[in-house]
Amino acid sequence: MKSKEILKILRPTIEIFYAFFSIFILIFLLLYLSDANFSLAFKGFINSSIGGRNNAYLFSTFSKMALISGMAIAALVAFRGGLFNIGGEGQLVVGGFACAFTGLLVSDFGFIGILISIISGMLVGATWALLSGFLTVYMGVPLLVGSLLLNYPARFITSYLVSHPFRDVQSGLPQTFLLSKNIWLPYFPNTRLDLGILIIFFVYVICLIIFYYTKHGYHSKNMGHSLSYVKLSGLPTKKIVFKTMALSGAIAGIVGSIAVLGIHHRFTDGMLVQPLYAWTGVIAALLVNLNLWFVPLAGFFFAAIYTGAAGMERIAQVPKEIATVIQAVIILFVVGKLGSLTNLSSSKGDKDD
Amino acid sequence: MKISLRDITIDYDNLRAIDDLSLEFHEGKIHALVGENGAGKSSLMSVLYGLNLNYSGKILFNDKEIFWSSPKDAIQHGIGMVHQHFMLIDELSVLENIILGYELDDALGFINFAKIQTEIKALLKLYDINLNLSELVTNLSVAQKQMVEIIKLLYRNAKVLILDEPTAVLTPNETEMFFKTLRNFRLEKKIIILITHKIDEVMSISDHVSILRNGKLINSSKLKQTTKKKIEEQIVGKKLPKLNVRRGIIDEQKILEVNSLRLSTRFSHSQPIDLFIKQGEILGIAGVSGNGQNELIESILGVRKVLSGSIEYLQEDITHKSTRYRRIKGISFIPQDRRKDGLAIKSKVWENVITINLSDQKFSIGPFVKKKSIKNYANQLINEYSIKVDNPNSSVLTMSGGNMQKLVVARELSNNFPLIIIENPTWGIDVGSIAFIHQKILDIKAKGAAILLVSNELDEIEVLADSAVVMYEGNISKRITKDIKFRENIASKMLSGVHFTENING
Amino acid sequence: MTEIFDPEFFSSIARLTTPILLAALGGSICHRAGIFNIGLEGFILLGAFMAVLGSFYANSAFVGALTAVVGGLFLSIIFAEFHLRRKGDPIVISIAINILALGLSTYLLRSIFKVSGVFSHSEIEKIPHIQLPIIENVKILNLLINDQSILFYLSIVIVFILHYFLKYHKFGLWIRVVGENPEVLKSSGINPVRIKFLVLLLCGLLCGLAGAQLSISNVGLFVENMSAGRGWIAVVAVLLCGGRPIPLFLLIILFGLVDSLSLRIQGLGLPQQITELLPYIVCLAVLIIVSYKKLRTFSRIIY
Repeated sequence: MKSKEILKILRPTIEIFYAFFSIFILIFLLLYLSDANFSLAFKGFINSSIGGRNNAYLFSTFSKMALISGMAIAALVAFRGGLFNIGGEGQLVVGGFACAFTGLLVSDFGFIGILISIISGMLVGATWALLSGFLTVYMGVPLLVGSLLLNYPARFITSYLVSHPFRDVQSGLPQTFLLSKNIWLPYFPNTRLDLGILIIFFVYVICLIIFYYTKHGYHSKNMGHSLSYVKLSGLPTKKIVFKTMALSGAIAGIVGSIAVLGIHHRFTDGMLVQPLYAWTGVIAALLVNLNLWFVPLAGFFFAAIYTGAAGMERIAQVPKEIATVIQAVIILFVVGKLGSLTNLSSSKGDKDD
Repeated sequence: MKISLRDITIDYDNLRAIDDLSLEFHEGKIHALVGENGAGKSSLMSVLYGLNLNYSGKILFNDKEIFWSSPKDAIQHGIGMVHQHFMLIDELSVLENIILGYELDDALGFINFAKIQTEIKALLKLYDINLNLSELVTNLSVAQKQMVEIIKLLYRNAKVLILDEPTAVLTPNETEMFFKTLRNFRLEKKIIILITHKIDEVMSISDHVSILRNGKLINSSKLKQTTKKKIEEQIVGKKLPKLNVRRGIIDEQKILEVNSLRLSTRFSHSQPIDLFIKQGEILGIAGVSGNGQNELIESILGVRKVLSGSIEYLQEDITHKSTRYRRIKGISFIPQDRRKDGLAIKSKVWENVITINLSDQKFSIGPFVKKKSIKNYANQLINEYSIKVDNPNSSVLTMSGGNMQKLVVARELSNNFPLIIIENPTWGIDVGSIAFIHQKILDIKAKGAAILLVSNELDEIEVLADSAVVMYEGNISKRITKDIKFRENIASKMLSGVHFTENING
Repeated sequence: MTEIFDPEFFSSIARLTTPILLAALGGSICHRAGIFNIGLEGFILLGAFMAVLGSFYANSAFVGALTAVVGGLFLSIIFAEFHLRRKGDPIVISIAINILALGLSTYLLRSIFKVSGVFSHSEIEKIPHIQLPIIENVKILNLLINDQSILFYLSIVIVFILHYFLKYHKFGLWIRVVGENPEVLKSSGINPVRIKFLVLLLCGLLCGLAGAQLSISNVGLFVENMSAGRGWIAVVAVLLCGGRPIPLFLLIILFGLVDSLSLRIQGLGLPQQITELLPYIVCLAVLIIVSYKKLRTFSRIIY
């Protein structure tokens, strides 16, 4: 009895230790497989995630953090309402393309042009998300698969658009023309960090307000916990679904816009898909157990792993995909603490006579 | 044969479900285990059946200590259990359900269905039971499902039958049939453990009765050595306040009127439903759960499509209006499944006190909520309904079932809406909360609300309702008005339930 | 027309169908056992990589298939550890497994073979193809199913075995029961967790073979993110068929048909992105039609 109780108290500590130990062993194995120099790899990781000349690498971590946090917020907004929108990738891509396309048209308008481009990215992202919302509400398509399958049209259609009609042929790559400098997001003084992170911060604050101080936040949280309660109570469930999905998609669109206006200054095929921004965002949202307050922390954490891994690749020739592996393993170790997120996973959906 | 439980103690996280309890069961006896919800009856039996292995104490089989590592061991020792929620798979055939875990198979593991079928048919013949083995369980009536559970035990050669609330879902005459079977088993020297909360049944069938309260054994004796009154007192442990039944004035105005409504239920041959409720009246719908009551309620609330007919609320046809429209127009609803339909239990208490009225000026300005006034309102409800919870910021999950239900009742009754739909309001909660909720329902009726009360507890209908109908297989009986023979009349309607359709057709 | 429906079109159907079919069969037993495994994409991808790895080093397709299965089982065990023992949400685990497989296969590709993007080598031995002399004279059958990899024939056999297994085998019965209500199985004295674990292993095995078919059956090379959404198509197919093997088989043949078609019409000058999109559009369309039909039969209003 006594030892049982002691074990019960110690259990969380043991679990954390076990998780860290497992991840450590995994990293060790992976580094060993790639014949890496351990100390060099470690130095490279630390130096390029938070160091660099004039903190240049730290700023690049910040810039990644903005994108990851943004996608985490986009995912979290939907998850909190019980809507398992894993189509963030598609919403991000169409938003980014829309922004780049608009940016080319309004490049003479300076600040106003930036605003118009971002808004168009937002609108297109929201529309894409609403599409899966409509499929769920009116057609009965499970949101999980519906939103996911829409990633592929988003990817292929934008790929087609930048490979054929809107391609900058001379660049040799499937991408749009470079945007003119007047509608690039400005940098913070004396740095190479663009203002995108401020925009994401703004989104973060807005979402905090929506979550904790508005009627929509009040209702959508309850819908996330019990759809049937909210429906039976006479609340406008359809409207809540559409609002939530539109918000989620719009945020993904903003993230795409920031990547275009702040970092790449054009839309290149695959530039938003390959770095797995959307999926990292989903994982970050889950890591903080859908608590919006901690999203920036998780965003910084994953961004640091990414830039650190990139540094490791530069200095110690360790493939940077190690970051992806670590990220997946981390979420595996916290998943048992999260509890069930959807009704979909526990039952086979609503059956009826 | 004899089974003894010695010094059994079960602890769930912070809760002691069973406290140092010892009991003996003898062959050829029907041993009733009674107590209110949460007294620990099911917990105790899950130990005997090997489902719960986290206990201290001993299980003795003919005075020899035995250990289970899973229900398989218990089953091999001849113990069988019929759970309160049937352990049957609707999508499988009767045969597949019976043989589960005890399949006769060939060398490759493929099941020899032909051989098993003849074996079970012999068993059915022996006990004179009529059942189609290839039928899917989903098409069976509740009583037939109960039979399948029993055959499952017989097929496994069970000598000890643990029956957890077996009659909760049976109509009175089905119960009688079921008891007849039990008496046969008694003659065969089986040990029968009957878990129930219905004292009438205890009196009519058991040989021995044990009363549990809060995980403790209050009394265990031969039935002859105790009386109904004594048992009742021992179950509750304290005197309950008497209900204050004020007979309000029933106004002639019909609040709700249901006209030839055809529900979409699994009872495809049911007749259209006609109903009305007047102001200041409680209409009870009696009957065993699963006979279409839930579908009727869902149709009135607008979350279920109806086939034909109309629903009128305050002289307005609302048949094709949305749930939102109906609720805003003034229909309150207290569901049976409070954890799923009545509350968002992972949300906080104050997040559960406001639903459609969030747009009231009292609770919001423009798009923003007034947190403070909602929390004040929550505090007000907590006091008024004496809900036990730390504060409005606590999660609903931390509350007991009774307090959760009080929260739902508080929220729904505070609207003072003209129509209140109530579905098994006291399902699975403690006696104190039951009395409290009953009083609140009577009070709101006295204020002039029209109430539709669906309940499978005859006692509840008898105490609360002004008139009642019985629902069976999607059909509704004639209205029974309250008089001295109210209870008997309802029971007899339930009794003749099986012939409902014939009666109406003929 | 003849440009599209040439012999190559017919023989490609089986080739393109097999990996999706094998993975979907794995997914369908998970579905029947009540495990919501939507990580098939990751299972296939790691299987494909491991197949190339094994086949390259051992110079044997058999070893390649074996290592592919090991890769699948590895992910199964991870799934089981975090879902069955630590009670994690299967959707989250599936997502993690997809990401893990993507990261791991790319990482290992670059650190073991020192290439990025594609690895192909003449020493990767391909899974042998089988000639059936009996049907050589039946022209259409000859085109459709002759000279295919062993795994193709195996997958067809598995469809029917699985059908009968689920229906008449005691383990199959337990799988169906555990999927509907694990408590029932438990009260019959069978440990539901053990059944689920075995089901996951079986799924890993089938998905590993799916990966092997993808990488070492016809092409003998590995490309980063080679599964390219096939796992998701398998997931949708499983959902649409409720995990029943025979309808699953038919549906996946339809998807394979569209796949081959899109491959053929690429030759007609349509942009690659549009033709590659075709299978997903068809998948989405079928999903919408089936879901809508189901929604119409619901008498409860959900939203």
